[in-house]
Amino acid sequence: VRTSLIWLIAAIIVCVGVTTGSVRGQSDQPGQAPADYTALVRTSCTGCHNDRLKTGGLSLQHLDLANVPEHAEVWEKVARKLRSGEMPPSTVRVRPDAKVAAAMVTYLETTLDRAAAAQPNPGRAPVHRLNRAEYSNAVRDLLAVDVRPGEWLPVDDSGYGFDNIAAVLSTSPTLLDRYMSAGRKISRLAVGDLAIKPAEEIYDAKRDPNKPTRNEQLNEELPFDSRAGMTVEHYFPVDAEYVFKIRFAGVQAAGEETEIDPYQVRIPVKAGLHTIGVTAPRENLKPEHDAPPSGPGAAAGGRGGPAQTQVPSPVDLRLSGARVKRFDVRATNPDVTKLIVGGPYNPTGHGNTPSRRAIFVCQPKAPAQETACARTILTKLAHRAFRRPVTGDDVEPLLAFYQKARATGDFENGIQSAIEAMLVAPEFLFRIEKDPVGADATSAHRVSDIELASRLSFFLWSTIPDTELLDLAERGKLKDPATLDRQVRRMLDDPRADALVSNFAGQWLHLRNVETVKPDPVLLPFDEALRQAFLTETSLFVDSIFREDRSLLDLLSADYTFVNQRLAEHYGIPRVYGSQFRRVTITDPNRRGLLGQGSVLTVTSYPNRTSVVQRGKWILENLLGTPPPPPPPDVPELKAAPHGKLLSMREQMQVHRSNPTCAACHGRMDPIGFALENYDAVGRWRRQDAGAPIDASGTLPDGTEFDGPSGLNQLLLTKYRDDFVRTATEKLLTYALGRGVEYYDLPTIRAITAESARDHYRISSLILAIIKSTPFQMRRASES
Amino acid sequence: MNNFNRTIPRRTFLRGVGATLALPFLDSMRPAASALTPAPPPGPPVRLGYVYTPNGIIGACDKSPRPFMWTPKTAGANFEFSPTMKGLEPFRDQLNVFSGLAQVTGRALGDGPGDHARATATFLTGVHPYKTGGADFKLGISADQIAARELGKYTQLSSLEIGLETQPLAGNCDSGYTCAYMSMSWRGPTSPLPAEINPRAVFERLFGDGDSTDPKTRMTRLESQKSVLDYVTGSLSRLQMKVGNGDKRKLEEYLEAVRDIERRIQLAEEQNATLELPHIERPSAIPDDYLQYTKLMLDMQVVAWQTDMTRVASFMLGRDGSNRAYREIGISDGHHSISHHQGDQEKVDKLIKIDELHVSMFAYLLDKLKNTPDGDGNLLDHSLVLFGSSISESNIHTHDDLPIVLAGSANGQLKGNRHLAYSKETPLNNLFLNMFDLAGIPHVDGFGDSTGRLANL
Repeated sequence: VRTSLIWLIAAIIVCVGVTTGSVRGQSDQPGQAPADYTALVRTSCTGCHNDRLKTGGLSLQHLDLANVPEHAEVWEKVARKLRSGEMPPSTVRVRPDAKVAAAMVTYLETTLDRAAAAQPNPGRAPVHRLNRAEYSNAVRDLLAVDVRPGEWLPVDDSGYGFDNIAAVLSTSPTLLDRYMSAGRKISRLAVGDLAIKPAEEIYDAKRDPNKPTRNEQLNEELPFDSRAGMTVEHYFPVDAEYVFKIRFAGVQAAGEETEIDPYQVRIPVKAGLHTIGVTAPRENLKPEHDAPPSGPGAAAGGRGGPAQTQVPSPVDLRLSGARVKRFDVRATNPDVTKLIVGGPYNPTGHGNTPSRRAIFVCQPKAPAQETACARTILTKLAHRAFRRPVTGDDVEPLLAFYQKARATGDFENGIQSAIEAMLVAPEFLFRIEKDPVGADATSAHRVSDIELASRLSFFLWSTIPDTELLDLAERGKLKDPATLDRQVRRMLDDPRADALVSNFAGQWLHLRNVETVKPDPVLLPFDEALRQAFLTETSLFVDSIFREDRSLLDLLSADYTFVNQRLAEHYGIPRVYGSQFRRVTITDPNRRGLLGQGSVLTVTSYPNRTSVVQRGKWILENLLGTPPPPPPPDVPELKAAPHGKLLSMREQMQVHRSNPTCAACHGRMDPIGFALENYDAVGRWRRQDAGAPIDASGTLPDGTEFDGPSGLNQLLLTKYRDDFVRTATEKLLTYALGRGVEYYDLPTIRAITAESARDHYRISSLILAIIKSTPFQMRRASES
Repeated sequence: MNNFNRTIPRRTFLRGVGATLALPFLDSMRPAASALTPAPPPGPPVRLGYVYTPNGIIGACDKSPRPFMWTPKTAGANFEFSPTMKGLEPFRDQLNVFSGLAQVTGRALGDGPGDHARATATFLTGVHPYKTGGADFKLGISADQIAARELGKYTQLSSLEIGLETQPLAGNCDSGYTCAYMSMSWRGPTSPLPAEINPRAVFERLFGDGDSTDPKTRMTRLESQKSVLDYVTGSLSRLQMKVGNGDKRKLEEYLEAVRDIERRIQLAEEQNATLELPHIERPSAIPDDYLQYTKLMLDMQVVAWQTDMTRVASFMLGRDGSNRAYREIGISDGHHSISHHQGDQEKVDKLIKIDELHVSMFAYLLDKLKNTPDGDGNLLDHSLVLFGSSISESNIHTHDDLPIVLAGSANGQLKGNRHLAYSKETPLNNLFLNMFDLAGIPHVDGFGDSTGRLANL
């Protein structure tokens, strides 16, 4: 109730501040007079936080509570610590009166909110380099070449938990090297360069060594009646012949995998993106064979002599769904390891690809028209690539590349060369916002409509603006609130908004780490199919919350999820058959929401066991925004129990907490982690650990008791709901702005959460509130 | 030269399976002096390598549960190899073991936890990292980069940074330290050089992405790259006039990258006439198996030195604080999680096995270098390769008594077969200064926390 009140007050003040711009004087401050708070600070804080001790690097001795905005950063910290109860610590004997402390938090926050409304500080992120995901998407949207070229670049550094932080994204010679290389490859694919030399691309199958493949369809790209194999998306640059070679795991010799002779076929393929599939028919669909004749010489195909006679097994090569070749593979259970695509050979034409349709908006009929057409093409491309109206100054240098290459090649070569250069242009690779002419240093200004268009598209789509958005911006219409609202909703409905799930949620919830976790395949039932299933489940789940515009709280409480047969068996959900994912209702309250999903449970575990500490820490850090400080370096040894027996995890942790050094943090972390102990290191439900029954009950330092995953979920949705919403908002704002959240952003965060609370924390309300907020709409001018 | 590529099983070589050398070093591979490059000092160049092993080594520190697993029992010449370093004994004559060295700037010094980030950051810098999870990180130049500034004048790439483990794809890196500190090579206080973990990217960095290694094709490609860089420079200078200070710094960074590559192209053009590039197969994916992967990447370092593409390399065998499970040797626990062994015998045994694995990978590198002819000798004769960890006892994160080995003779200047014990907390940076001298780098007074050169080297 208290916190809602704060929001209400904050919201009113922010509204007043924004609409009328009025600044209220010091006279009508809400709540009690500062004198009470000064007394509180003196009795409960300055014992440690004084000029002499400066505990935690902080002194409150001479700070004036009548002028809070002067030390906004300090008071924000005080408000947060006081509200969460972290301060004053239990060692302080004189306990502050709870009501006075609560009122003081309100006083501090409302005062700070009011000051922020009167004099907004939107902060400032420097020039923003596109990260790998944004680069891939921008290339896809600009040239219709969907080859994820960002993956050819070095990994981006991240800060504040995200890899789109402007100040952290740097440029090195290695990166530029890769940009140039990528620019060349992309431009040649895009125009369909007939001079591309044949090369082999090798794709490795994601497989589980030493495990038999499951007798089921691998994924929905492959036919229903197929089993195992692999699929890849491959971009064929021109109409030409290509060679497909399939490699299989062969005879196991001394642990070394050897390859049997490649099976290959050479066929003409139309230019563009195709899905290549390699798969075998389902086992029960295989034709029956007569028993092979026995005796020496009878088994022509046997590699290991007569005893190893094998019946050939069919393996199909498929191109965009259609079977192009069936191989008879001499193996009982052919296990595909690699697919090699070679080519192009004997090109017959550029092909009619989406890329060429996007690039060649005109075709010169006569040599005299060529330059004009090239200019048209390059002007249009530069416009999208640079995300702003372009002038002759932008196009002429590109046209020079065209002319130089045209002199020794054809029209296509010319355009390709210009595109290659455009892809390393600073204004393509960087998001650059300019201060208005004559802006006072460090004053705040509204960003231009054109800059806003890029802010929107990189936030919601992780890519460049589309023509509709850019067009509205160029006509100065985007700042209109109704238009902005409509555009945001349109963008959220667009498939490109998937980027929010993969890039924002993928990093916030550490889902990206599912790609690299390595649970012990011997101790735990983990394989590549399960890894993929974990990723798909949580992606579909988060996507459904965003797409259906549900409440943020549904991330924890939703009574549904998405499973296929593999995952359903893993979770113990009956009657789910086949490899395709479907929405199922969850009847077991313990499985509800993110905390019941294999992805989250696995990334917070060790390879061979669960970690109560990592799970507790993950929740404190990512859901509650109160990360525990890391352990001291000289961690004392856990003493063995008097009876000398092996301690269970819980016994160990109890020893842990009896040590006051550990207890301060583990007192919060461990009970939270223990609540999830019924899930093993890959998220399977269990009742016992190492033979002992699991006790998933816990008590927080303040005496709150709870039990098991559903008890924890309940706690997060009630007592800690506001912390969860605030944390999610902070993370989303960090991602939206591409910079860390600073103390001067906290009034904004309070306003956003208040706004979204009125709409039951609906995702769209949260996103709209962020987009309409001061730091998203405005920018501080540079210090000159 | 024409049948060069038929006679030698290069694919085997690059895969790290071949036991012997693939590419003979040809003196013609060495670039001559040119307009751009100063005349190189006489004699074969000295190469400098820095190999990092994560999460400490059992038995390096007197607080270890198994003392002498690493540190040899006696100091001086003809010392007895300790159990963990047994695999290095074949190289005894060209190898020295150091004890007593430290990177004390890796200690908390009031900054609280985060020893893995600090260990990595300080290993080659000797500079205490400024604690931040944000963008205002600050460290200092690293030893390999000081060397690269000088040795890089003669080669197309000033240095190579190789790693085997990416930073976590999501989340923080270590206890409030930004992931930038998980790089051990730093060009300057604010410029980390993240290690490249993709073998294919390392290959392309060395030999380019052209369709062919044929000199004429390469020249055409270099020409076109030059005009692209001119275009970028022009665009940048137009932009610089329109943006604020913080933005200028970011664009300046891009401009520096442009200049670096321009210089490299110029060198490549000058050297192209004499430089015969080996015809080797591009690696494809990252091998699943740790041993295969490590060997492949070490092979790249060797081929980079052999072709004199660069003379400086840093190599991280793993990320400090990493939880990699070394299943190849039957260990399914996360490395970091067992490194806090709390004296548990079973965990200590597993850690020793991991230490031995890392040592064996270093031995593989030394073997490759020794078997690669170079001028009148082999690459090991003409290099200095340091192996070590920036933590000694992982359970309690000690930053002194570091396990350090230096292999190679630096053209016969450095004697081997010695265990050199220095007084406790002697800065590791002091050894780096000796290495600079041995590599013919003009006198460096000091850097980081160095206090002078090591005596009796």
